[in-house]
Amino acid sequence: MSERRSAPWKIAAYAVLGVFTVLSVGPLVWLLYSSFKPTAEIAMSSIALPKDWTLSNYAKAWRLGDLGTAFLNSVIYTSVGTAATAFLAVAAGYGFAKFSYRVGRIAYSLFVAGLLITVHAVVVPLFVMESRLGIYNTRLGVILPYIAFGLPTAVLLATAYIKAVPDSLVESATIDGASYLKVFAAIIMPVSTPVLGTIAILTFLNNWNEFIFAYLLTSGRKLKSLPVSVNSFAGVLNTDYGMQFAALMVATLPMLLFYAVFRNQLMRGFAEGALKE
Amino acid sequence: MKTKNLKGASFAALVLPATLLYLAVIVVPVAVSFFLGFTEWKGFGAPRFVGLANYLRIFKDPIFLHSLRNNLLIIAVSVLGQIPLGFVLAYMLYRKLVKGTKFFEAMIFLPITVSPIVVAILWNMVLSPVGIFPWLMRRLTGNPDYVFKIFEDKNLAILPPLFVLLWMFTGLYMIMFIANLQRIPRSVIEAAVIDGATEPLILRKIIFPSMVGLIFTMTIFAISGSLKSFDLIFAMTGGGPARYTEVIAIYMYSNTFVYYNYGYGSAVSIVIVALSVVLIALSRGIFKRLEDKYE
Repeated sequence: MSERRSAPWKIAAYAVLGVFTVLSVGPLVWLLYSSFKPTAEIAMSSIALPKDWTLSNYAKAWRLGDLGTAFLNSVIYTSVGTAATAFLAVAAGYGFAKFSYRVGRIAYSLFVAGLLITVHAVVVPLFVMESRLGIYNTRLGVILPYIAFGLPTAVLLATAYIKAVPDSLVESATIDGASYLKVFAAIIMPVSTPVLGTIAILTFLNNWNEFIFAYLLTSGRKLKSLPVSVNSFAGVLNTDYGMQFAALMVATLPMLLFYAVFRNQLMRGFAEGALKE
Repeated sequence: MKTKNLKGASFAALVLPATLLYLAVIVVPVAVSFFLGFTEWKGFGAPRFVGLANYLRIFKDPIFLHSLRNNLLIIAVSVLGQIPLGFVLAYMLYRKLVKGTKFFEAMIFLPITVSPIVVAILWNMVLSPVGIFPWLMRRLTGNPDYVFKIFEDKNLAILPPLFVLLWMFTGLYMIMFIANLQRIPRSVIEAAVIDGATEPLILRKIIFPSMVGLIFTMTIFAISGSLKSFDLIFAMTGGGPARYTEVIAIYMYSNTFVYYNYGYGSAVSIVIVALSVVLIALSRGIFKRLEDKYE
């Protein structure tokens, strides 16, 4: 087939894809090497590779921006939120897929409608509610909205997946006397590993990069996540370019590693998400 | 009877934790926002009922209208920019016009993993006097004093954020297209090629008809995503300078958390939800026609 295609098309394809690749990766590569460059050098020539590679930008950013605390908070918010969303979604997905209750259908359509709801439609009442309940400015107060906003997509993916699990598999176990919850633990959870993985990867990415809840539902430095810290830090001290680059790298590096490992699952997850709706 | 109770109880145990949390964090607050939208409330005391006054004020406020215009531009860039570009890239990779398709795929998709906050600050630096862009322009134009000034123009200030959104999300649409293109049986295309079908004909008769449903899903995705866009612009310009780059979500934010007009801010958030519902209904109508045409 390929020999039928003319050379100009191929050249055009290389050109277009090449331009997009350079555009996509270029700024990130610039960010990477600039983070090892002393600020004085950046001011002189912003494009050149560092003459004098240094880690001092990182040391300074880590200390002045209190990035260690922010990093730890991000890890806690992201991992707890992701685990809870994935587990709750698979449990609910089992309920929606294999129990034919009318309430179930109503609850399911509420989750579907949730795909349209923006963070901004809830943030004011949530802020007021959390203040009254005394969980404003606590880790719990950040994690609960993380879990809830992960749920609509996760419930959709889990329900669709579990629906495709053969009924016979579930029923035979029920007849053997296993309770529904035992079926959940012994059958549904193990067969759902692939969809659990997809949900976990998508939710992890969203939680790690989340900004507005962590920004509005906490005050003071102690509970800020990385994006929030980087935003306030890099905005205020925007003349120390080297330190700014280093702070951005600290927030980005974990995701680049994550991408290196889970790239294929992440792509599949996004593609599946689009197919299921 | 006993098994029936057991079944009900098990169902509740499975579904209730997720549903209750969802009700508490999303459904109830949306209902409260809807109610607060008809009131004037500063965050303390009792909300004062004002009827539709907030909504009337919103649609008369030139700042809101400018934000709305910016949001519509974001939607236009998504639907007319990211989706078609994503398709072009996906199609080139799918038809294997180049070697190393996995490499290109991985690189173009990469920006999606970076936090919008980081993306915003990074691009601000790219455009800043020490950034790549002015450096490039100085080389190209020969003007050693070139600085990036588009932000000073009320009508054009939104262009840089629009470009950055394109930069972030085109790869996402590309991936979705690739996944769907791969579901078209190769044999169908090969048979068409053997029958002498040209590339444009294959595109029109085989590829496009099988993409209509996906493009509709993407359009919904783009509309609701565009109306939600906050983080990137918030970190990049904060809506400034002089509120030129403000979008509705930032308008809502500043009214609520800077001026403490909780009632008014809630009304704005309801407008955001209503707008996405209306726009999605509209595009559903358009796509229904397209689908009919192809059947």
